Amino acid sequence: MATEVELKAGIPSGKKVITGNYAVSYGAALARAQVIAAYPITPQTQIVELLADFCAEGALRANFIKVESEHSAMAACIGAAAVGARAFTATSAQGLALMHEMLHWAAGARLPIVMANVNRAMGPPWSIWTDQNDSLSQRDTGWMQFYCESNQEALDTVIQAYKVAEKVLLPAMLVLDAFFLSHTSEPVEIPEQGLVDRYLPPYNPEFKLDITDPRAFGGITMPSEYFELRYKMQKAMEEALEVAKAADLEFKELFGRGYGLVEPYRLEDAELALVTSGTVTSTARLVIDELRAKGERVGLLKVRLFRPFPTALVREHLLKVPKIAVIDRNISFGHGGIFAQEIKSALYNAEPRRPLFGFVAGLGGRDITPELIEEIIAYALAHDRPEEEIIWMGVKR
Amino acid sequence: MSTKAKAKELAPDRVVAFASEREMPPLAVSLGTSLANKTGSWRYLRPVYEEKEPPCNHACPAGNDIRGFIALILKGKLAEARELLCETNPFPAITGRVCHHPCELECNRQKLDEPLSIRALERLAGDEGYNGKGLRPPRRRHKERIAIVGSGPAGLSCAYFLARKGYQVAIFEAERKPGGMLRWGIPEYRLPKAVLERELALLRDLGIEFKAGLRVGQDLRLEELQAGYDTIFLAVGATAGVELELPGGEAAGVLHGLEFLKRVNFGERVELGERVAVIGGGNTAMDAARVALRLGAKPVVVYRRTRAEMPAIPEEVEAALEEGVEFTFLAAPIEVLTANGQLKGARFIKMELGPPDETGRRRPMPIKGSEFKLELDNLILAVGERPDLSFLPEGVKLREGRVNDPVLVEALRAPIFAGGDAATGAGTVVEAIASGRRGAEAIDRHLRGLPEPEPEREPVLVPFERINLDYFEPRPRAQGRALAVPERVTNFEEIELGLSLEQGQLEAERCFSCGGCNQCDNCITYCPDVAISRHDDQYEVDYDYCKGCGICAQECPRWVISLVEEEK
Repeated sequence: MATEVELKAGIPSGKKVITGNYAVSYGAALARAQVIAAYPITPQTQIVELLADFCAEGALRANFIKVESEHSAMAACIGAAAVGARAFTATSAQGLALMHEMLHWAAGARLPIVMANVNRAMGPPWSIWTDQNDSLSQRDTGWMQFYCESNQEALDTVIQAYKVAEKVLLPAMLVLDAFFLSHTSEPVEIPEQGLVDRYLPPYNPEFKLDITDPRAFGGITMPSEYFELRYKMQKAMEEALEVAKAADLEFKELFGRGYGLVEPYRLEDAELALVTSGTVTSTARLVIDELRAKGERVGLLKVRLFRPFPTALVREHLLKVPKIAVIDRNISFGHGGIFAQEIKSALYNAEPRRPLFGFVAGLGGRDITPELIEEIIAYALAHDRPEEEIIWMGVKR
Repeated sequence: MSTKAKAKELAPDRVVAFASEREMPPLAVSLGTSLANKTGSWRYLRPVYEEKEPPCNHACPAGNDIRGFIALILKGKLAEARELLCETNPFPAITGRVCHHPCELECNRQKLDEPLSIRALERLAGDEGYNGKGLRPPRRRHKERIAIVGSGPAGLSCAYFLARKGYQVAIFEAERKPGGMLRWGIPEYRLPKAVLERELALLRDLGIEFKAGLRVGQDLRLEELQAGYDTIFLAVGATAGVELELPGGEAAGVLHGLEFLKRVNFGERVELGERVAVIGGGNTAMDAARVALRLGAKPVVVYRRTRAEMPAIPEEVEAALEEGVEFTFLAAPIEVLTANGQLKGARFIKMELGPPDETGRRRPMPIKGSEFKLELDNLILAVGERPDLSFLPEGVKLREGRVNDPVLVEALRAPIFAGGDAATGAGTVVEAIASGRRGAEAIDRHLRGLPEPEPEREPVLVPFERINLDYFEPRPRAQGRALAVPERVTNFEEIELGLSLEQGQLEAERCFSCGGCNQCDNCITYCPDVAISRHDDQYEVDYDYCKGCGICAQECPRWVISLVEEEK
């Protein structure tokens, strides 16, 4: 009988100053990912580098599969998940775009893969800096999307994402800003493995590839059934809202930290609600505090879960506020900022009608500074309704 | 009940109609295996295992299965490798030393790095694959007796194949010992006599009778052979030196290449002076020059064309240069200078190359007024050999195969066959071996009353472009041990010492195995439909599931798998 490789002590817990990328690696390792398949791309590469180290050292018992492209990385994860393994990958920008076909496959096959996408602007022209167009282009693939604000949140979201994904059988993507998060070090609490294991038991799906019970998965399905399978995917997305909420609460009970699906900040009695996602939130929080200190009634809603879209929560928090200003670090060409569109559509069938200002800022990694956010707030406060559907912030004209 | 439990209840071949989405599993999953999905119906191209001819096999005059014997060496099966070679060539240990290896010139591997060391591998099989036991004499099946005249490679080969077919064979040799050119044309340092004796002993084991020291036409009339034998095979070789019409050519000190080699090979102490010129550019010239060197001379080879046109095996030219033989290209002798009937030197004229002649080589043309003299102690003429047919009726010429010459047929009133250099003109050892085998087959057909075989269809050769180079790393070819120049030029010790088994196996690894399956299993590994299986050494494609994607053919490193269009 083969002797098992003697494992080192596993992943040590405690406070550590690490980058967002490494925080994701720790999250995947603590979640006991069993198969990791990834192709390197800046600014994601360090995530899988550290995971490869963990595997090589024996701290993580996983199969690390080197592949020749992101398409193959996702294909390998799909195969792994199909046999019931916990699969993890990470990518960015063009790499995510190359996975596109496989993203549909993972979701349609109901495989709870977790992937980290480090938001990087799409080329051409080449850019390695952040914006959200890469992940938002995959909006309709059937993947859940979590936008993270801090390194701690990135680590915790990996673990939460598996919890939700394996419950509703949908894949989940956690998203973090290039460099602002991926390459910036922050103190991060690395949870104890035992506690993570309690939170996230082993994955054991009802349907999986099994040589003792061979079956075909994802084969051709007639119009008489396809439609229902799509219906069930949407129902799973809807269920995921409740599951994610519960998973976050359970996480908070065990680890003392929670994030919500959206996070309202000083919205009570506000005249204006700023809506943000990702690292812009931290800057905006600072600006809100400063303006509040000056007596301005402004607040903030951070959107953490983008898919499924938390429509009810968005309505609950934003309809109380007379004006809404959305900051989008992305652009849907031919229409506008994508978060702004989503919020508009979430509010459309609800009363009362609120003016919504859609700001596009910070594309391709341009800084979104406190001053810029102040300008955004000043504009929204000064106008009854937007003069343009897209208000471009900081364009040199 | 869970959806899975429900799904399991259903027989795989049932058509399932779900009343509502709640009954459905969350994903599309079949009730039974995917075997119901016969993807073979999508196929319009069909992969077939179809071995093709490697260029080495095709280039071998003897028709050796080179790819096959190398595969056996790779597995360490040297005896089997020798046995396979002996199907087409009685003397792998000999051709493994002296063959001009046209196989290596065609080897596809040279386009990646260097050709396989095929000759060295053949020698390894020939030497180390010999297990010391003699060949079992075949069951005597036929009463016919065959006389073979000449025990050079053609005669020996013909005898070997006839004996294997169950005939009684006797070989008549004019010299004291059998072997012909193998014995007295090739120097000891290239082919040790011990190796020749071993191979001859194996022929004796086959029941072949050797009658040496009997010169047909002198000691024995051809007609006398007719009385005791049903058929005669003439393989008397090309033993007469081609004469140069050279004034003074009869002087003492002028030697003929083959005659010189023969005297040395028979142990005669041939006295040479220091200044020796060898005329010619073939293998006899190279052998004569290198033998002269070993006898203490300082030979210079004079050749009327350039090195590029030399008919000698390039390795032999290279070895001669290494050993210090000098070469003068583009020159030819026009007169032997004598004093009192003794050679004193020769006059030469410089040449230039003109348009190609009937051999395809550029014709040498004398340059007027370019004569020069060399003072010489000996002049060795090695400008070609021709058959000596003086034992035959005047005017008879031999061709390979059944001899239809009316004069000879009338004189003998017996079926007579010919082969080897005597019939084909001066060639190489392997060509003579091949000619001998063809002779044996022709004789067998004649005696058994069998028809001429259908001409073989031109085989499909594997071009280099069909090799999948993703599977091969450049690696230099094996170099066997060999004596260094100072160790060899003073004696007749064998120079090449051959490959070790380990070296041979490493070298065999380099073989692409062009067009020949070596069970690498790549096809099985890559088949996305799991439609390929292996039974011992045979692969089987399950065409119920093979989609005809062609990945197996693409990933086959050596073009064994062909894609053919499905017939509608």
